[in-house]
Amino acid sequence: MLTFAVSRLLRAGLTILFVMTFAFVVLRLSGDPALLIMSVDAPPEAIAAFRKAWGLERPLWEQYLAYVGHATTGDFGKSMRDGRPAIELVMERVPATLAITLPALALKIGIGIPAGIYAALHRNTFADRLTMAVSVAGFTMPSFVLALVLVLIFAVTLGWLPASGADSPIHAILPIVTLGTAGAAIMARFTRSAMLEVLGQPYIRAASAKGVTWPRVVARHALPNAAIPTVTIIGFMIGSLVAGAVVVETVFAWPGVGRLLVSAVANRDLSVVQAILMVIAAWMVSANLAVDLAYGWLDPRVRGASAGGH
Amino acid sequence: MAMRDSLPAVLPATGIAALARRIAGLPLGVSFAGLWLVAMVVIALGAEFMLPYSITAFDLKARLMPPVLFGGGIAHPLGTDELGRDVFSRLLLSIRMSLLIAFFGTLIATTLGTALGFLAAHFRGRLESVILMAIDFQASMPFMIIALSVLAFFGNCLPLFIALMGFHSWERYARISRGLTLAANEQGYAAAVRQLGAGPGRIYGLHILPNIASTLIVSMTLTFPEIILLESGLSFLGLGVQPPLTSLGNMVGYGREYITRAPWIMLAPAGVIVLTTLSISLLGDWLRDRLDPTLR
Amino acid sequence: MTALLKAVDLCRDYRVHTGRGLFAAKAILRAVDGVSFEIEAGRTLGLVGESGCGKSTTGKLALGLIAPTSGSVRYRGVAMPPTGSPPWRELRRKMQMVYQDPLGALDRRLPVGVQIMEPLVIHGTLLPNEHRERAAAVMEAVGLLPHQFDRYPHELSGGQRQRVVLARALMTEPNLLVCDEPISALDVSIQAQVVNLLLDLQDRLGIAYLFISHDLRVVRQVSHDVAVMYLGRIVEQGEAESLFAEPAHPYTRALVSAIPVTGGGSRRERLLLQGDPPSPVDVPTGCAFHPRCPFEVAQCRSERPKLEPLPGGHPGGRRVACHRVGEPAFRVAA
Repeated sequence: MLTFAVSRLLRAGLTILFVMTFAFVVLRLSGDPALLIMSVDAPPEAIAAFRKAWGLERPLWEQYLAYVGHATTGDFGKSMRDGRPAIELVMERVPATLAITLPALALKIGIGIPAGIYAALHRNTFADRLTMAVSVAGFTMPSFVLALVLVLIFAVTLGWLPASGADSPIHAILPIVTLGTAGAAIMARFTRSAMLEVLGQPYIRAASAKGVTWPRVVARHALPNAAIPTVTIIGFMIGSLVAGAVVVETVFAWPGVGRLLVSAVANRDLSVVQAILMVIAAWMVSANLAVDLAYGWLDPRVRGASAGGH
Repeated sequence: MAMRDSLPAVLPATGIAALARRIAGLPLGVSFAGLWLVAMVVIALGAEFMLPYSITAFDLKARLMPPVLFGGGIAHPLGTDELGRDVFSRLLLSIRMSLLIAFFGTLIATTLGTALGFLAAHFRGRLESVILMAIDFQASMPFMIIALSVLAFFGNCLPLFIALMGFHSWERYARISRGLTLAANEQGYAAAVRQLGAGPGRIYGLHILPNIASTLIVSMTLTFPEIILLESGLSFLGLGVQPPLTSLGNMVGYGREYITRAPWIMLAPAGVIVLTTLSISLLGDWLRDRLDPTLR
Repeated sequence: MTALLKAVDLCRDYRVHTGRGLFAAKAILRAVDGVSFEIEAGRTLGLVGESGCGKSTTGKLALGLIAPTSGSVRYRGVAMPPTGSPPWRELRRKMQMVYQDPLGALDRRLPVGVQIMEPLVIHGTLLPNEHRERAAAVMEAVGLLPHQFDRYPHELSGGQRQRVVLARALMTEPNLLVCDEPISALDVSIQAQVVNLLLDLQDRLGIAYLFISHDLRVVRQVSHDVAVMYLGRIVEQGEAESLFAEPAHPYTRALVSAIPVTGGGSRRERLLLQGDPPSPVDVPTGCAFHPRCPFEVAQCRSERPKLEPLPGGHPGGRRVACHRVGEPAFRVAA
């Protein structure tokens, strides 16, 4: 178990390094950073001074090492817009993002998993079909469409809820519902297929054949085994919480990391984009790591199987 | 032989009657999905011949006219925007743009991924490790974030944007083609053909590719709607297709400002997005059951 | 006269993970360990042994499908070119393979006729309009009917598929066929037909076979010479007649004694193998067979026996790798 954890930890570190390298390479490929950040008509002396300040005339590998060194300490430079350290700007937005994504996650799990289990246990009934139909809609409807439809109904037509802003907890309702609905649909579909697969296994038939009551079969044999693949999807959802909030935060003018990313991209505020990229990568990798470890704990077979090399 | 008769491709097509019978045999949802997609493709190919109005032609007397069944006139079946421009005309061009991007994006992802998968399986060793690492990386980062950072670094233009969409889900094809090629090399027909003295071109092009094509096609029905959603999401945020070009996501983003007074500007393209992605998913599910029982 | 194919001291290693994770210990699995043999034109060398003893790997090495870790293969005195290189591909015309699983070895998306003609297309032999004629001739030679040309692999029976694989292999008139368990996936009733076909083809076309099988009865029937493998090494080899009549190595004796005899009343030696073959990752010291050998002594545990001519003037170039084979008591003990 220890070597398993260590190898996963190393992999996580490698992925982070990969993201850093990706950002570095893309940054360099995109042209001369001096010209990119300063305006084209800036005086040559100013550009030379900028290069010196950022060490742009040093060899590339030195720049890379310096970059990685800075990035690991959370130093991504200052935002072009207001001159504050980029990482600070990002971190102060994190609570707002969590304020809508965490309740949405609870919604996904709280609705999606029971719905999926129910649909699997009542396969081919009306309830099952309905669950699946709703979940297909959840798959194919983009979040901005769902968001706008909800705005149209609850803000414009009914006037019950505010359409955008972050002035009160009420404002969080529509973003949370938007994020939660789509996620719950995916969760339900996934849980259902995981349950169905487990219910089709010989050991389930064996258990019911030897006289174990059905509720007990479900509780003792089916649910724990279906939990294993479900943990993966939950982990993935936790990992992509921030990424998933990009569109929704923008629609509802919610002051989170996602909206910051969109405006940073629109303004080409590269330090902020890089800081967000690293924060999301670190978040994603930690979530994956947690899932891998949970997997190892839930399913002893995995400890070897997935780490045994290709 | 019974086996042969069950292969639909072997049956001779006896005119329109046979075709009609076959279509009638399809599930209802699949038929609708097929019809909808045919309509979309026709629009994408012939949009300029169908435009009732130029999308720049504005008619200030007919501003924010509702669609035909909601009090508007037949002249503008889907209503007009705040400058009196025809929503229907704009919608046709948007459909073409979104489908074009999704089509080329899917094509690039499939080609790139399959090629990398073949390379990994052919050369093994270090090259394979590098490709596997790239696959892991791509799968572990949400592509939306990757796309946004690339757009931030490189700025935006249409060819770059299409190429970027092509990087979405290439790893799916790389995984599939690598896995199936390894299996084919390990015990099966590919090893046998290689042993006959065939070169890589023949092995991969004439034997492995046709054998894995059905799995790749089924995966394309997953990628295509994903790219539509991704493109429309980015365009909605104003970071995808740039004006004066227009796409479905663009239209929704733009119509959002008139959501209180003229929701049809936003609802028409939104409906097209949902119906199109839904249709492809339905068709894909159906294809998967028919072509590739091994894929869940 | 130089042999058609000569393999000298072939070794093939595989790296395997013994543990888990990034820092797992990697071990070397020596699948084939110092194997040498010769195949004369028009003759059959049978290669026998339990599954996992390295028979199939030896077959692939003989064809140059994989590169040996050390050792060499020579075809008509010329060294095997690197795998996949143009001269290597050219050489495929002269040496071909027949597989255990004919359905797996065929592309199920193409009619078998197209696949039978494929070697001609690959090597550019004959004019394209002659391909079909040649295919028809070869199909007839292996007992396939003309109308089966347009069939798909799944529409044929197992025996017919194996005939297709054989026909494809014969298209370029090879001198050597490596048959890797060619009949073990077939129904018993079909096995004899395919074996007879192989023998018949050898008579008519003068092809040499490397015939790999775990079935001693079949090997006995088709082979001129036999090599017995145990854990990657040849423990005994020689002319088939002599070897089956008087097996010398305890392992061969055990294998031969396990062949069921029909109708005979003659009392034969019964020698039962104990236990399973050890893991090829962890080959026993000395003679690899010693943990299962009833005649094992201290020397067997420490010193690896060499493959040496059998003492006592046997016919057929018999060679055996056993310390105790020269001792009189050894024979009686059975």
